[in-house]
Amino acid sequence: MTDVIGVRRPRIDAPDKVTGATRYAADGYVHGLLHARLVLSTEAHALIRDIGRDAALAVPGVVAVLGAGDLPMRTTGTDRTAEPLAREEVVFAGQPVAIVVAETEAAAEDGAEAVFVAYEPLEAVVDVEGAMKPGAPFARLVEETEEGGDLESIHAGVDRGQEDAEQEQLSGNVLDHVHRRSGEVAAAFEASDAVVSGTFRTPWVYQAYIEPQVATAWLEPGGTLVVSTSTQGSFVTRSELARAFGLPLERIRVVAEPLGGAFGGKFALIEPLVAGAALALRRPVRLVLTRSEDFQATNPASAQVTHLRVGARKDGTLTGIEARMIVDRGSNAGWGVEGITSALVTGPYRWEAHDLRGYGVQTNRVTFGAYRAPGAPTAAFALESLLDELTQALDLDPLELRLKNAVVEGDIGISGNPYPTIGAVEVLERLRDHPLWQARGSLPENEGVGIAAGYWPGGNEPAAAVCRVNSDGSMTVVTSAVDMSGVDTGFAVIAAAAFGLSPDNVRVVSADTATGPYAGASGGSKVTYTVGKAVLRAAEAAREKLLAAASQELEIAPDDLEVVDGVVRAVGAPDRSITVEDIASKALRFGGRYEPIEGHGGSAQTSGAPSVAAHLSHVRVDRETGEVELVRHVIAQDVGRALNPALVEGQMRGGSAQGIGWALFEELAHDEHGHLLTGSFLEYAIPVAERVPEIETLIVEVPAPDGPFGAKGIGEAPVVAAAPAIANAVAAAVGVRVRELPMTAPRVWAALQTASTPDTPA
Amino acid sequence: MIPAPVRYVRVSSLEEALDALGAEDAKALAGGQSLLSVMKLRISRPTLLVDIGRLELAGVEIGDGGLRIGPLTTWDELEHADALGTPAFAAFGECAAGIGDLQVRNRGTVGGSVAHADPASDLPAVLLAFGAQLAVRSPDGWRTVETADLFRGPFTTALSSQELITEVIVPVPPSGSGSAYVSVEHPASGFALAGAAALVRPDGSQSVALTGVGSTPFPLPADRDPAEALADAEIYGDRFAPAEYRRHLAEVVVRRALERAGQRAEEDRP
Repeated sequence: MTDVIGVRRPRIDAPDKVTGATRYAADGYVHGLLHARLVLSTEAHALIRDIGRDAALAVPGVVAVLGAGDLPMRTTGTDRTAEPLAREEVVFAGQPVAIVVAETEAAAEDGAEAVFVAYEPLEAVVDVEGAMKPGAPFARLVEETEEGGDLESIHAGVDRGQEDAEQEQLSGNVLDHVHRRSGEVAAAFEASDAVVSGTFRTPWVYQAYIEPQVATAWLEPGGTLVVSTSTQGSFVTRSELARAFGLPLERIRVVAEPLGGAFGGKFALIEPLVAGAALALRRPVRLVLTRSEDFQATNPASAQVTHLRVGARKDGTLTGIEARMIVDRGSNAGWGVEGITSALVTGPYRWEAHDLRGYGVQTNRVTFGAYRAPGAPTAAFALESLLDELTQALDLDPLELRLKNAVVEGDIGISGNPYPTIGAVEVLERLRDHPLWQARGSLPENEGVGIAAGYWPGGNEPAAAVCRVNSDGSMTVVTSAVDMSGVDTGFAVIAAAAFGLSPDNVRVVSADTATGPYAGASGGSKVTYTVGKAVLRAAEAAREKLLAAASQELEIAPDDLEVVDGVVRAVGAPDRSITVEDIASKALRFGGRYEPIEGHGGSAQTSGAPSVAAHLSHVRVDRETGEVELVRHVIAQDVGRALNPALVEGQMRGGSAQGIGWALFEELAHDEHGHLLTGSFLEYAIPVAERVPEIETLIVEVPAPDGPFGAKGIGEAPVVAAAPAIANAVAAAVGVRVRELPMTAPRVWAALQTASTPDTPA
Repeated sequence: MIPAPVRYVRVSSLEEALDALGAEDAKALAGGQSLLSVMKLRISRPTLLVDIGRLELAGVEIGDGGLRIGPLTTWDELEHADALGTPAFAAFGECAAGIGDLQVRNRGTVGGSVAHADPASDLPAVLLAFGAQLAVRSPDGWRTVETADLFRGPFTTALSSQELITEVIVPVPPSGSGSAYVSVEHPASGFALAGAAALVRPDGSQSVALTGVGSTPFPLPADRDPAEALADAEIYGDRFAPAEYRRHLAEVVVRRALERAGQRAEEDRP
């Protein structure tokens, strides 16, 4: 049998994508389609006094100007599903206030420009730390009590910590306070040989997917609401729409179209806008955000302030960790990453005592949303920077300190539960002998190499899949998972290997919520681990049907048969065989004798499968300009089992590149009134190809016991520790530590100036 | 990202172009590098676009009176022009190669950029350092404008709406000269946070001009030490690059440009 698992193969969607044949969500033809354009708030915090529509309605082609009261909402609440258009109060600049719907895109744009909104400005709350203080002005005056949806659980399985006994004085802007504690952290610091601390700041970061948010909604003649959209999750979008409009789930059909990038940013955001407009007007409505709208009105990663203190003994044993992590949720009242980030700040390390607090704070910035490993890069930046400072204080090797404290299976995590199989030691050991790490002491002036490690715990959600053999012997795999990062290509390999076919004979179909087996959203690094497991079982179920039929055809017991490259044959007597095609064609016909060769499989994973990734980064700093040039970057990651190394390496490179963005380029900055200052690619820098160096990928395989063929989710881990590796490299190169991301040239220069002034040590 | 409604006319002669530009709120369109972007954002909303892209106004050659650059010369053509392949003119190719990406360099033009007068665009620094002039045509006739007199403020020039640049005239430096353009770019836009062009002549005289640091590109006075002159210049700051940092960058790029231009001048001497 030819090897299937672990073989490099192109993505099955690659030919369509590179030839431009893929039809994305904005490309489909819909008869009678209307085009929507949003009117976005120009104020970060204000009451809406009036929406002047007359001029817009006078534009030829404009069909309607809809405000919040015109959408058939059946829920209250202030999350983006319940309040797709601001009701009386706007809480961020860029919040949708009205939708103009027109016969053409141009008319919609002309109409949106002609809508005049009268605001009564309120004080904008933009300083997240100030917003926490008792007596601070509120970021939202009009209270709504209904809770939002359950979007947090999509991303990571972390507990919420225990309730706080002592009551801290906090303003009503603090929507959530998570506290986890074990051991006596003060005593642990007391017994340490070095204790270092620092405050680390990270900005709002935009996912910068290539395809902006887009959705189209229409009503079928029978009344079913159909939403065709660029989303990571069809079922979660359906649930959100049902909640918004009070519709039964089976009256909504969500079709997830080929995804043009998402990175966490596409979990039901603009769908309520188009669905609401389509329900109100009873005509198909499409909304394609412009890039500028996408910058202003979507859901980027939170800004965060992390106060962190860590200690170690002189042999390098980590002792205590104390964190106070403030997460700017912007307008998101539903969830924040304060729970995830304050759990992940311990890194893949053992600690003797911990005291970790996370705060979710509302401000008048944009709505917080998920972005690849939400809450993890910010936590790793703080921790991994301080670990290097500990090694300096104790004169230890940065890699050896990490290795000495790296968790192994069975170590008790901060949740109180033992770690499952985890490859932290293996990943660090892989880097120990790397030539770049070995050469770190003999680099030219102003160059340095940094190391950092991070992990992502993964997530779980039950899923189902169907494997169907066609009469020509090919197989169709049906799931409702959105093909993000190449998961469909992985499914093909899993099904092929489990059934006994070549992956070239397997097609993977993404079904919609009306036709497909259940799958959660593509996020949390859980799709291969959970849906892939369902595919494995579906293929095994189909194989049983195949063997039952083959057994009758060959008159050999099923246990004595094997399936190799599309042929069922007797074990030890390969001449006695029948092809899968023969059996399938005997089954799938009038008067056929066998059940269709079709299997249904499900999974409900409960075990965790964390992935650890460690980075080496080599930088050159221009001391005069502060510019940081990446010379080379290396990532080693425990991926469980690489079903397709080419795709795994793609994830490792992509995650590293986005980590480079966190480190050096990306920042959604607002002025003191809450207006976005970096709302286009002219101001918001991303790691374009010419600024990303060669990234060397080292795959480490520590099989996940419950994963399909040992595989696990690997999409998020590679972004986590890229930024601190670069920060540690900068420190190694020029001796200054930048505690704010991104490390732009002006910031690095300013840090160098401070460091060179004798009376103000860095 | 749909521009406001606009009429469009493609002209086949200079006279036709000047005539069309007489209409109210008419704008000349060359490569569209800058104009189309601001139109899509509706920051600019001309009522008539006069496409001059088919006029025969491209090319770089050394002739009587100096180096002549046609205003419709693209960045890519400028970067690879044979006439600019000397140490004396090295700043031109260096400047052009750093603009935008290849697609932009295939479309964006010298004249369009100069007329657009972005305070951080690169080429004006080079033109100022070389003391270039513009030949300008209007319905009233011809005139010559010194680049030193051209830039009046951000996106504002001394040209009227019915004037077109027909030629950029650059004095040829004496043999044995060297030039360079050095900039530190904004990581997103690629525009200069500070850019400096320097020309060093065999007699040791230097001309330096800056872009990206003030409301317009500007030359440093020839009779003063560049560092001292820079200390008196008004330097602009913003959120990304505060004035203190920009002033420092200006010093760095001026020094680096002078060093590189000086090295090139050395190389060009027997």
